[in-house]
Amino acid sequence: MSLDTWQEQLRRGGLDLAILLTVSTGPLYGLAIIQHLEQFTDLVVTEGTIYPILGRLTREGLLAAEWVEGEAAHARKYYRLTRAGDRRLAQMKADWRAFTDKIGRLIDAADQQGLVRS
Amino acid sequence: MTLSETGESRVNGYLFVLERSLGAFLPRDVVRDAVREIESHVRERIAAADGAPNERAALEKILGELGPPLRVAQAYSAERTIDEAVATGRIVPVARAVWQLAATTVQGFFVGLGLLVGYSVGLAFLAVAALKPLFPQNVGLMTRGGVPVSFGAQFPLPPDTVVVGGYWIIPIAAAVGLAILVGTHRGARRFLAGWRERRALASSGRFVG
Repeated sequence: MSLDTWQEQLRRGGLDLAILLTVSTGPLYGLAIIQHLEQFTDLVVTEGTIYPILGRLTREGLLAAEWVEGEAAHARKYYRLTRAGDRRLAQMKADWRAFTDKIGRLIDAADQQGLVRS
Repeated sequence: MTLSETGESRVNGYLFVLERSLGAFLPRDVVRDAVREIESHVRERIAAADGAPNERAALEKILGELGPPLRVAQAYSAERTIDEAVATGRIVPVARAVWQLAATTVQGFFVGLGLLVGYSVGLAFLAVAALKPLFPQNVGLMTRGGVPVSFGAQFPLPPDTVVVGGYWIIPIAAAVGLAILVGTHRGARRFLAGWRERRALASSGRFVG
């Protein structure tokens, strides 16, 4: 696997979690979610590909979507976290932390052994 | 920023291509909702670009960041069609998902080819069962000189060929046809479920446990 492929998998792996975390702050529409993600991460490579992911998370029952008229010149589709989404997010956060801790320990151990060897 | 007529045409052109591309794979109501959401995004971006000196450059930047309409459509299709096929198991969504994978991946192409053969053979057996009562002399097991040469229907029947067997082939052909169709369809669903599972693992990070 090339480095590019690995980085793309890593990005995709984090994107669902990043979107759920963003929406957990309160109901947000697509562009606001993208702007929030862009503010904290570089996970959004192509803005248009975020919308299909929002659609999938909605179909999976993790998000609920609702069109709101009159707030701006054009209707906005707002997303909010459902109860199932809340539960999934808690699990994903725990999994992510556990994973990064394990990999972090591995990196530390490898660095330490490298130092001892050199 | 208020768009000029040229700017409006550019936006409408983008949305038109997106709609046509989505329409190839997705139901009409889903396409309408997706295009509405993307248009809302574009209009928001345009409104936020107030004061941009060059409309054309600003618009191209907005659409460029959104991504080419074909790519956006592909992302929608990838997320949607397989989920629907696995969840419902209905023929049309399954066929749509297999078609999409066959059109975009090498593995999907070969699996799609195999499934096409399976569905065709199953339907052919059912056609034999349906045609036998109508054309008893042309449908069934064909022999030449006592040796079976083919099974199916031939119009007209070659002079040295004899159709053997009676109406008993109807239940057998119907049962075999149904069995092949059900087996092929189960295979298609299993393939799509596996594909979806792999995608979910890749996108959730659970592969890293």
